[in-house]
Amino acid sequence: MIWLTWRQFRVQAIVAGATLVAVAIALTATGPHLAALFDSNGLATCRTSCGTDASNFINQVKGSTTELIFYGSIFLVYAVPALIGLFWGAPLVTREFEAGTFRLAWNQSVSRARWIAVKLGLIGLAAIATAGLFSLMTSWWASPLYQAAQKTGQNSLSINRFSAPLFGATGIAPVGYAAFAFALGVTAGVLIRRTLPAMAITLAIFAAIQIFWPALVRPHLIPPVHGTEPLSAVTFNGIFTSNNGQLFMTIGSIRGQAGDWVTSGRAVDATGKAAYAPSACAQLSNTFIPCLARHGIRMAVTYQPASRYWALQWCETGAFLALALGLGGFCYWRIRRSS
Amino acid sequence: MVWLTWRQFRWQAGAAAALLAVVAIVLGVTGPGLVTRYDQIGLPSCHTACTALASQYINELEFTTYGKLFYAGLVVMYLVPALIGIFWGAPLISRELETGTFRLAWNQSVTRTRWTLGKLSLIGLASVATAGLLSLAISWWASPIDHALSYGQSGSHFLRLSPLVFGARGVAPLGYGAFAFALGVTAGVLIRRAVPAMAVTLVVFAAVQILMATLVQPHLIPPVQTTAPFNASTANEVVITSSGSGPLTMILKGNFSMPGAWILSNQTIAPSGRVFDGPPGRACTANLPQQDCNNWLNSLHLRQLISYQPASRFWPLQFAETGVYLVLAAGLGALCTWQIRRRRA
Repeated sequence: MIWLTWRQFRVQAIVAGATLVAVAIALTATGPHLAALFDSNGLATCRTSCGTDASNFINQVKGSTTELIFYGSIFLVYAVPALIGLFWGAPLVTREFEAGTFRLAWNQSVSRARWIAVKLGLIGLAAIATAGLFSLMTSWWASPLYQAAQKTGQNSLSINRFSAPLFGATGIAPVGYAAFAFALGVTAGVLIRRTLPAMAITLAIFAAIQIFWPALVRPHLIPPVHGTEPLSAVTFNGIFTSNNGQLFMTIGSIRGQAGDWVTSGRAVDATGKAAYAPSACAQLSNTFIPCLARHGIRMAVTYQPASRYWALQWCETGAFLALALGLGGFCYWRIRRSS
Repeated sequence: MVWLTWRQFRWQAGAAAALLAVVAIVLGVTGPGLVTRYDQIGLPSCHTACTALASQYINELEFTTYGKLFYAGLVVMYLVPALIGIFWGAPLISRELETGTFRLAWNQSVTRTRWTLGKLSLIGLASVATAGLLSLAISWWASPIDHALSYGQSGSHFLRLSPLVFGARGVAPLGYGAFAFALGVTAGVLIRRAVPAMAVTLVVFAAVQILMATLVQPHLIPPVQTTAPFNASTANEVVITSSGSGPLTMILKGNFSMPGAWILSNQTIAPSGRVFDGPPGRACTANLPQQDCNNWLNSLHLRQLISYQPASRFWPLQFAETGVYLVLAAGLGALCTWQIRRRRA
């Protein structure tokens, strides 16, 4: 059974292996340059007040080829689970249905249940290993950027591995996505029984989950911290007022702590209602924020502290692995009982 | 032939129409907010020194939902041609070959060549139309951003001449759509199996996109080169770094502003012609007033060497890019037709 799985899977495995090698070569060729830039800004030896060095380092990366490689690697880590679902998951069972080979495959000494269990288990493990290696390599490559971002409250590239786009491309989360995408592909195949529609459905569902999950589910995996902070404890990325004078202030960092994931920040007045800019405060001046503070305006914030990064990674991965197991179990049950 | 093509294509067409409708709704709902903010900040009535207002408008984007939508639009615009190649192009003929239905399809009153040409041209047109409509919708949505950027901010990520945005605007996506479709069909004809053809299409399309953007695009129209004297008091960046035991290095980046232009490189060169990298004089490393360092730098007679694409080149570059991709697509289409003609049924 292991041999059969390998024979039917070897082209996909070789493609994945070749991609891994190509990416590894590209990253090891360009990684030392980034690390050297990190060292030349004195960040390796810096102990206290490294904010300026870190900002300089990130400003030098901005606009260079290194920045493009960084975004490319993030995109790749997101693409890999989707491709696994499309090309490993969806055709796994549909190919047998479409070609009629399921009649032969399911009438051997190996039972149908074992056939699907071994295929799901082995290729699922391969999916996990592939996504894990991609994430590990890109995280290693980009570690100078993440370290620098930890040392400065705001950076010109808005790098924060805890915020939405980067969270899913770092740590162990891609492992969960890959297992889930694979199981989703197999499930679509078992239900639809035709390769191309199954691939299209897999892609559509997986993309929809990747888009809605960070906004709707992830912030609540661990109950977030709610609080009201004085304006002096918060740095701002942007401040503007709407036509009717309502204040909108986007938060950079809270109490000087870099790397928090701020999911909401609203300006509120002393009674806790949405704040309006008092006419006494002159906008676009240095005294605007102190003036707002004197009028009792504070920030109501909801955030996940930076220290929870790994806890949330484990929760996210666990959730997707559980979904993958559920889907895998469903496929197993469907194949076993199908006539 | 038109009817047959439509029957076999209606699911894909329905999926594309649904995607277009979703994108149109999202952009249609959020677009007016972007215009309102543009009006509110006072840009339409601004006639002199509007750069500060425009900068504020652009800087806000980075931290609001509009900025995220802008990036999401880029991702969708780059994915759509790839998906067209994978789901419309690659299975078009390989599916007939795989299931054996080509025997029936190619023995009708419609000749094999006409069958191929009909499918290629109709679905090819659908690909171009889909990519074009999407590009139109995104360009309409982002037009306030383009207007604001025409006041200044040469290095912004949102600039439509910057490499990433360029391929998701104007007519370039039409070329990508046509090329991806033709590439998918070609892969299907040559490989004759749908799933491997889809995988090959994706890999080749991604590789061509990357190679075109890095190797070909910068040379379609050579960038403008210009030099200007370096002025320390207006410099954007003066960075002194130490690399352990070696001498100190000094990186300078002068100020250069050209509204809407994409700056490819901005180097500071010494009178000898090589790039200036230090070492910094004592006026800059000792604890002296900034003016002493500036005076010392100005006494070196440094120059800025800048190469850039001016804003006026946006459409010439777009047409050049689209032309290259359309020619490639036409070549691949001809290859498919020729392959199918000469193949024994």
